[in-house]
Amino acid sequence: MAKTQSVSTRRGLGERAMGRIFLAPSFAFMAVIALFPVFYAIGMSLYSIRGFHQEFTGFDNYARVLTDAGFFNAVGNTLVFTVASVSLEFVVGMAFALIMHQAFVGRGLTRAVILVPWVIPTAVAAQVWRYMFDHNPGFVNSVLGTDVNWLRDPAWSMVGIISADVWKTAPFVALLLLAGLQTIPKDYYEAARVDGATVVQRFWFITLPLLRPAIVVALLFRTVDALRMFDFAYVFAGYSNSLATLSVYAQRFLVAEPELGYANALSTVTFVIVMIVGLAFISRMGRHMVGDVARKEK
Amino acid sequence: MTAETVKPSGPVHRPRRRTHPAVVNALKLLGLLLVLGWCLFPFLWMGMTSLRSGSVALTDPNIFQGPFSLSNYEQVFDLGFQFALRNSLIVAAVTTAICIPVASLAGYALARLPMAGKFALLAATLVATLFPPVALVNPLYQVYLKLNQWTGINLLNSYAGMIIPYVALTLPLAIFILATFFAGIPREIEESAKVDGATPFQAFLRVVAPLAAPGVGAAAILTFVYSTNEFLLAFSFAPRDLNVQTVPVFVGTFERVGYENPIGQIMAASVLVSVPLILFALVLQRRIVAGLTSGAVKG
Repeated sequence: MAKTQSVSTRRGLGERAMGRIFLAPSFAFMAVIALFPVFYAIGMSLYSIRGFHQEFTGFDNYARVLTDAGFFNAVGNTLVFTVASVSLEFVVGMAFALIMHQAFVGRGLTRAVILVPWVIPTAVAAQVWRYMFDHNPGFVNSVLGTDVNWLRDPAWSMVGIISADVWKTAPFVALLLLAGLQTIPKDYYEAARVDGATVVQRFWFITLPLLRPAIVVALLFRTVDALRMFDFAYVFAGYSNSLATLSVYAQRFLVAEPELGYANALSTVTFVIVMIVGLAFISRMGRHMVGDVARKEK
Repeated sequence: MTAETVKPSGPVHRPRRRTHPAVVNALKLLGLLLVLGWCLFPFLWMGMTSLRSGSVALTDPNIFQGPFSLSNYEQVFDLGFQFALRNSLIVAAVTTAICIPVASLAGYALARLPMAGKFALLAATLVATLFPPVALVNPLYQVYLKLNQWTGINLLNSYAGMIIPYVALTLPLAIFILATFFAGIPREIEESAKVDGATPFQAFLRVVAPLAAPGVGAAAILTFVYSTNEFLLAFSFAPRDLNVQTVPVFVGTFERVGYENPIGQIMAASVLVSVPLILFALVLQRRIVAGLTSGAVKG
């Protein structure tokens, strides 16, 4: 420790300056291209803008958000989609991770193939699933033996986008969890087995607690991604209310029914919701993740 | 399987572990097949549907029912899908080429260099990965319009118009991954380079950066995949012009021509973009897994 200290004080000035120079491009770029637009959007959200007519209306747009049935419909859709898809992805992903962790023959192949859904662009996956669900030719109906017009009925099309999202991202969750599983020492299981713990007990009392960091990271990324989701809902149902998520609803007032001030209020509200949920996650595990980098440095 | 097989060989304290190895292996294999089937079955459907001509593909759910032809592929190329592929490749490659060097500098600084408020900066980087792109669409659009008014530079319907926000949106995750990798490199290596007379910058460029190559690769791949995947901003800033339109926009907004449902053409386009991406994923899988899991797992 003392030795490192002396080296860094000797080089202190050079390294501090270098640190600032190294950080500057990234943070300047993010500030100009991502942070500035957020404030710009907040500014615009205080105006009522229709065509070329523009008028300062203070927080009227936000008051309108709070009384807009369409907005609450979008909140509901987003919530249903997020809760359903993230929990299904977690269950399926955990099952896949356990399967892959157990197997030896063919594990490499599976671990490679499991990336395939993840690498396909969401809009492409959405089109494929939309047509699999479509009444014509009726692939899903023929597999399930049902006769449902999936894309016409809001509830069934929600099932459609949830299935598509679970298909695409459960493998991603499985990869994160598998990496976590591989860090759990085998001795723990041996010891528990000698003590007579059943499979379920071993999973519940060893695997789950030790997997917690990986689980929280997987849930963070998946939840935030689900909350800001646009592609699946738009490809399945356009700007219609049936599947409109928060992102789709905000986008609708830019494109389909242009009211820029209101659109910016909606996207700002979406931004705030996503950030609050993300921060709630990060405050639970961020210290652990960030601390990792900070600790290694010593 | 039964108590009888256990009795002669095993002592009493392991009564339940003697499931027949062949059964266990068969179950494991079945599990893996389940995972493989899950990942791949939509591709079978997509591939077969792309080969069936429009009217049959729309009326008969049996994907093995012909007649089969390559006409959908011909039509997709007639519509200019090759340009969308080219555009996606250019946008993703340039985004990666800009993002990764810039992020490497920041990642190294956060992992290694002394500075005030490092913890806060790392936390801010992590928070920035959550950024919802929908919050960028309109403000950036307005900025692009103003920029065009003032300087005559038009970023709408241009590669740059997409690349700029993509770099901003991919930087945080790339910085975070790279910082994790840089932090994992033993400090002694760097110190000894400095003792041998290297300046801090030389130590970074000649010693640390090459050692972090796996991390750099992983971050680059994730950035590339993000840029090929992005739909909302590409759709807002470059919706129709085939000179710049990317694959997700081409496929996601595929319009029916006349009354015919374009199922075959859409699947043909999906196959054409899936094949290179799948090869990409298979070839680079180790790096991808390293990148995806770097934050999730300690050490």
